[in-house]
Amino acid sequence: MFDWMTWGIFGIGFGILVVWIAVPIREFQGMLKKRREKERQP
Amino acid sequence: MATVDIVLVAGFLFTMFLAGVYFSRWIKEADDFMVAGRQLTPFILAATITATNVNMYSFIGQAGGAYKSGLGIIWHTWVGNMALVFSGIFVIPIMRRLMIRTVPEFLEMRYNRHIRLFIGLIWALKLCFWLAVILMAATRAAQGITGFQDVWVWFIAFAVIAIIYSTIGGAWAVSMTDTIQFAVMMAGALVVLPIAMHAVGWMPKLLATLRANGMSEHLKFITQGQEFNWLFIISMILLSTKWACIDQAILQRAFGARDPRTVAKGMVLSGIITTPFAFLWILPALANTVLLPGIDKADLVMPMFFAQFLGVGVLGLVMCGLLASQMSTISADINSVATLFTNDIYHNLFRKASPKHLLRVVRLSTLAAGLLMILFAYYVVSRFQTVVEANLTVVGIIDMPVFVIAIVYGLFSKRTNWQGAVGGYIIGASAGAFCYKYFSGNPDLSAYAIVHTLFGADVIWAQWAKSLAALASTAAALIGVPLVSAFFPKQKMTKDCERVFGAYKSALHSTSEEEIHMMPTSAKGKLGVGLMIVGFLSFLFGVLSGSVQFQFASQMAVGGMLVFFVGGLTRVYSD
Repeated sequence: MFDWMTWGIFGIGFGILVVWIAVPIREFQGMLKKRREKERQP
Repeated sequence: MATVDIVLVAGFLFTMFLAGVYFSRWIKEADDFMVAGRQLTPFILAATITATNVNMYSFIGQAGGAYKSGLGIIWHTWVGNMALVFSGIFVIPIMRRLMIRTVPEFLEMRYNRHIRLFIGLIWALKLCFWLAVILMAATRAAQGITGFQDVWVWFIAFAVIAIIYSTIGGAWAVSMTDTIQFAVMMAGALVVLPIAMHAVGWMPKLLATLRANGMSEHLKFITQGQEFNWLFIISMILLSTKWACIDQAILQRAFGARDPRTVAKGMVLSGIITTPFAFLWILPALANTVLLPGIDKADLVMPMFFAQFLGVGVLGLVMCGLLASQMSTISADINSVATLFTNDIYHNLFRKASPKHLLRVVRLSTLAAGLLMILFAYYVVSRFQTVVEANLTVVGIIDMPVFVIAIVYGLFSKRTNWQGAVGGYIIGASAGAFCYKYFSGNPDLSAYAIVHTLFGADVIWAQWAKSLAALASTAAALIGVPLVSAFFPKQKMTKDCERVFGAYKSALHSTSEEEIHMMPTSAKGKLGVGLMIVGFLSFLFGVLSGSVQFQFASQMAVGGMLVFFVGGLTRVYSD
């Protein structure tokens, strides 16, 4: 019998992990872009 | 540990060191070091708050509690998550508007600099001791998991790398390494869950076995007489609200947000994602009641499980996850100690110090805090077995009155003066200490019928002494503050005091996109707050009805919590 409870919790956790790798990378790239623009300004 | 595991751990530690060195280039001034230049974005903020919040106390200590007494311990995390959502929407954005770095700084604005100095000193010392406690607890767990007994190997792994990158990179290094460490923690915990469940025959077999072994109470979220029962949850509501509103490590991360709306988003997201995360350490602990029965010292359960059931490579990944959980908390707390010392003690006494000088001081005090942590851990904490519990008890008693004077009366009552704050603090802490001593002695209250009704037969009061002490210190401070204030003149409205109440007023009705105002104007915002209220009332009803063993207590509480989270998420993504 398939253990829906365990794999359901695993699935939610895995989904959170994927989102929290992808979105912070994007946010960090945005931060880096802003810093470089600020450094270029006189 | 096999060579593969050692390589994984060494590789992880080296990556964290490199990340810390990289972010040291982003430190130009004290605000960069203490609050990451106030530029953190929502998802990075959520990750750093979660990483700071979750440490080996969750994976080892709380798991041990679940092994001994069942699911009820999960509320330690869940109520904390609800408190994060509440505080993120209604409290911290007010403080973020004031552009402060610490809670004692807020206390000076509201009352006077002596209270700032007093609380700053207590908290700096308290955090140093807490750091030593968690370092020693983590070291003992790692010794049990891997068999490496050399204490200094674990001090270097858990503490030295974190001290180095915190000293050179400050809050930038702490926040960004926390984001990586959150992902590593999550990956390690995800790997453990199916391994534990497979070993025990998966969830249906685990539930059937526990019921057959007479451990049905282990499976209830709300119990009447277990150690983590309805009374424990009520005390956690207070302690967690206090923690989410004034804990320096959490708040310092929040103060690093780019604007008040980001604070709200980050804290709400952190509260929500940590909720399913908690199952990843609680469920394997329940599985171990079947896999490793009869272990007296509950803190040994998960280390024994990791040592016996995790294969080569997997153990290395899980060790990285445990290291990540501990390093994120240690680095955040060291950064907090250094900020408290520099901001509230040093700068309080030497007001003419230049920003460059303060940056040097905060760096040196980061290093000093790290060294103190190691010395305390090796020479003091290592001699005592029960320090974690003792530390949590003391914190519950001395911190609850600070919450009352800072948030309850500090933000919402102009009548409260500094004399009331000091008097109320002393009354609250004393009442908490007295209550703890009384109930630790396991008094015989069986003559009172209400005790049987609410707690069942054979009550062991000592197991709830901490919870009752927190309730007593809160209640006494709530009464003591206005009582003492009444004997002295009203607080003079200084410019800083006006700013505090001004921040509160503008939080009520601001219209800027970067702000989040407490009174929603859109239908979506009002729906969000409505759901939060309904959800919290349902949760509270579920918890209180657990005292009389109401059949649907657990469902009401868990369902209410979920509705509360939906409401919070709706609120922060509206006006």
